[in-house]
Amino acid sequence: MSNKTLPTGTRDEFGTIAMVKDQVIQTIQQNFKHRGFKKIITPLLEYRDVFQSLAPQAYQPYQFIDEHGDTLVLRPDMTLPVARMMSATGIDTPIKWYYSGDVFRVKKRMSGSYNQITQAGMEIIGYRSLKAEWECLVAASEISQKLGIADMTLELSHAKFVPNVLAALPISEPMADNLVQALYDKDLTQYQTLLEPLANDPFYPFLKDWPWLFGDFDAVLDQLTQLPKIATLESIIADLRATKAFISQRFPNVTVTLDLCVQPPQTYYTGMVFHAYSQDATSYLFSGGRYDKLLTNFQQTAQPAVGLAFDIDAIVAQRHLPKAPQETLIYFEADQWAHAEALQARTPNSNLCLADSFKQAQQIAQQQNAQLINLAER
Amino acid sequence: MTLKIALTKGRTEKQVLPLLQAAGINCDPIVNKGRQLIFNDDPDYHFILAKGPDVLTYLNRGAMDIGIVGSDILVEQQNPQYDMLDLNTGRCRFVLASTPDFDPSQTKRKIIATKYPLITQTYFEQIGEDVEIIKIEGSVELAPLVGLADAIVDIVETGTTLRENNLKVYAELQAVSTHLVVNRLALKQKRAAIYQLIAQLQKAQKSEV
Repeated sequence: MSNKTLPTGTRDEFGTIAMVKDQVIQTIQQNFKHRGFKKIITPLLEYRDVFQSLAPQAYQPYQFIDEHGDTLVLRPDMTLPVARMMSATGIDTPIKWYYSGDVFRVKKRMSGSYNQITQAGMEIIGYRSLKAEWECLVAASEISQKLGIADMTLELSHAKFVPNVLAALPISEPMADNLVQALYDKDLTQYQTLLEPLANDPFYPFLKDWPWLFGDFDAVLDQLTQLPKIATLESIIADLRATKAFISQRFPNVTVTLDLCVQPPQTYYTGMVFHAYSQDATSYLFSGGRYDKLLTNFQQTAQPAVGLAFDIDAIVAQRHLPKAPQETLIYFEADQWAHAEALQARTPNSNLCLADSFKQAQQIAQQQNAQLINLAER
Repeated sequence: MTLKIALTKGRTEKQVLPLLQAAGINCDPIVNKGRQLIFNDDPDYHFILAKGPDVLTYLNRGAMDIGIVGSDILVEQQNPQYDMLDLNTGRCRFVLASTPDFDPSQTKRKIIATKYPLITQTYFEQIGEDVEIIKIEGSVELAPLVGLADAIVDIVETGTTLRENNLKVYAELQAVSTHLVVNRLALKQKRAAIYQLIAQLQKAQKSEV
């Protein structure tokens, strides 16, 4: 170990990348602010219990012991701290929050992954209406347009679709558990083996293709015609259809797809789930959905909630980074301060050169390949 | 749309190539590869050859869409991607093995040498035993012969190496075979091409049976 090295999974960000990242965060935050959302800042450190509903393998946190022996973590998630704050403060709902900040998830060492990830997102708490999902998606689609993401695919799914189909199947609970696990894991070998006893069941034509029930929105819905009628699915499908129609009408450039065999990101999701990606991305651009049981992790009563978070690092990684423009340095005498500041304010990519002599200013300009304006000689 | 496939080089590669060829993929450049590691000429399929654990690293970072790798590595590396298809090639098994005088029922905290600590730990947890595990990078058979460990957990294909080293199998653990693993986001981005590849592979598997 050296005093110059970084811990595994961390990095410094500076220069163009840091500025682009800052611009991306500002673009997202400005959109939420203009929509009347309120800013929320929660601490980096929380008690580990705040995050007990997260799948531990996916969100392994950095842990510490405080002076009382309680376990603290660097937050691995931004949504649960908002829920914790809401249940602890009794803030009136409905309310809309926006946030940005870093989350920390310990990944496999030396795998090329980073343990500190920047997110910016929003939470709408207190609205049961589908309009809450739509505001989320409209805001996210607008932001994606402003960020210049031209080929965005928005994938809709629903946390209740798979459980409702399973509940209608003529199979035992253990078999249903195995089947859904194979479905979520896309383990076709195991899934097809588990299906063999159901070969003569009316559900079989649907079940055999279920692991592929994602992609083009209308094609997925067409596949549903193989599924015997299940009353509990009707409102789910109606909401998904309405959402697709609404987004396609507002944002014709956004491709809306459907996934009816995916595992919800967390157990607390209760309704529609959304992910967005572009064709060249290696990570989702944003993810979110409805989680009406979120606050029950902290209190007796449930509160409807919808939210999403942008993966800022994934967005920055996809952006074409501009070549840094040539800088202009403004050299001046101390009594020219106001003049120098005024010139700097109207000169793009400039900054004040604080050298004591013009000769020193020339050396700095040469070293930085910058233009130099000498106010001292004027 | 091009599918980028990371194939585990060596034994896995040799055993899976006939299946890939039966599925209609031209593997001639890989068969006649010399020292080449990357194959980009086919517009539909780009291949790289990599070591098993590295296949998953490429897949996890999104540098490749698909990995072809042994299930031993998927379990040991706690693969987070979609393990979609057992290709049924490269079949072998994990075993607990040791010298003929080893007594599995002996009441002591046994020392087990292995290249696969997670699989070993999981096995002994399942049978309710706590053991000390020593990670060995290769030629694991040596460990009980020179007194480093009481027994080993290792992959066995035919058992010849164990027999030649006078080692005996005391327990059969899980089976191992070559699997097709798909990056989660790539499956969304390249659904049609991946569906087609898997359908071709399943058809080729059926015709082999």
